[in-house]
Amino acid sequence: MVSLVIPSDISFVVLTAVTIIGAIIALQAKELIYGAVALAISFIGVAGFFTLLDAPYLAMLQISIYVGAVVVLILFTIMLVRREQGEETNPRTDTPEGSMGIWLAGLLAIAISGVVALAGTSLPTETPASNLTVSDLGPALTLQYPVPLIVLALLLSASLLGALVLAKVER
Amino acid sequence: MVVFPPTTPAELIALIIRIITSHTFITIVIFPGFIHLTLVVIFLTWYERKLLARIQLRIGPLYAGGPGGLLQPLADGVKLIFKEVMVPYKASKPLFMGIPLMLVVLSAVPFAVIPFGQHWVIANIDVGLVFVFAMTSLFPSMILIFAWASNSKYPFLGGVRSLFQQVVYEIPMWMSTLSVVLLAGSLNLVDIVNAQEKMWFIVPAFFSFAVFFIAIMAELERLPFDLPEAEPELVAGWYTESSGAIFMLIFMGLYMKLYLMSSLVTVLFLGGWWGPAFLPQPVWFIIKTLIVATFIIIPRGVYPRIRVDMLIKIGWTRLLIIALGNIFLTIILINSGLLASWGI
Repeated sequence: MVSLVIPSDISFVVLTAVTIIGAIIALQAKELIYGAVALAISFIGVAGFFTLLDAPYLAMLQISIYVGAVVVLILFTIMLVRREQGEETNPRTDTPEGSMGIWLAGLLAIAISGVVALAGTSLPTETPASNLTVSDLGPALTLQYPVPLIVLALLLSASLLGALVLAKVER
Repeated sequence: MVVFPPTTPAELIALIIRIITSHTFITIVIFPGFIHLTLVVIFLTWYERKLLARIQLRIGPLYAGGPGGLLQPLADGVKLIFKEVMVPYKASKPLFMGIPLMLVVLSAVPFAVIPFGQHWVIANIDVGLVFVFAMTSLFPSMILIFAWASNSKYPFLGGVRSLFQQVVYEIPMWMSTLSVVLLAGSLNLVDIVNAQEKMWFIVPAFFSFAVFFIAIMAELERLPFDLPEAEPELVAGWYTESSGAIFMLIFMGLYMKLYLMSSLVTVLFLGGWWGPAFLPQPVWFIIKTLIVATFIIIPRGVYPRIRVDMLIKIGWTRLLIIALGNIFLTIILINSGLLASWGI
């Protein structure tokens, strides 16, 4: 019997590689524009994770909001404040402060693998298949969680007003 | 009998024939997949030149063979492939070469969810409309990156204008589709077309059709909204520095986006594949889509270009208000029961 590789495992490995490599390039790229492009690729990898988790609606919104809007904002900001050609615009990470992140990441990896090793076989190996569709999302938001929705709306309006106050120029 | 994995040559041939004749292979490669898309894009370039020529009392392509110079796009394509690709001084080469390819991919991928017939759809997913939205929302960033990568002033100005325009018009465009989603009760494009069997949505949702049509004219950078490629001011806008195969890829992407947006109008408002039964469903779909594309192309020969301030004013103050008000109008129409005879 040939051992079969589950397709979702392959896509999980590929998506993990895309997301992590994209994130590393986003931090390490000398020119900030390349960093923004790599960040977009990393976001697309995250959207792939959402599709693997049976949440296609969330994946599409991830692409349209993060890749479509947030990356555009970042690009625009970079282009507005661009310096001379050839100058490194991304701060260097091989400083003592920069290496701190690597140590923290290593500690986190050890902690997570320790927890997994301690839990052993009691961890569930399969996620239950969800039957949640897009049309369940509306009732869930308006009937089950109306208060968080209203709080979120207030938060967004507050940030909009804050942006207006910040952008207002005294004449 | 198909055996997997194949061991003899006869079994291999049987497997290959089985794969080629499968519905999945046909829908992806032939129709409505790659071959159909390429042919339509080639046709559209010729069609636009011929149509504009007739509007301006010219003849247009004539000598390249076929009726009315129909082989002209092939000659153009061969010429562009063999031309040298000029990369501007100090331009970012990977982005300059890669983004045009991404433009073609991004405008081809949404066709996976566009239903050309009851069974002529590659992927019948529940979030089809949001998928198209997600893919087309990547265009502004691609264009801005390409404009930056060209390392030249005219493309950069064009790219910033394009970003400005597409971000403004994306909001009324997708807000106007909300009333269609309300009428059909689904984000699935096949369900949306099925809901239009008795009456096309252009009748109950006429205002959203008008808003959507104007907004896609701006999204496609067609006249009167072609500020990003304004010839008298910006040479050719954000693709000024492109040449040879890069130019060809950009134009393929743009014309494929034109076809995508026209087919989206057909799906959302013009009843998709529904029509009298003497023609097959995909034929009706393509006829309707090409008629919509004609109405998108015609203004290029008729109207002058509008100013930037007019563009922004129309987008934020007129289209957005109409699209918002139309959602309430649709809710009232649905709840009043006036549309019950159309199965809504």
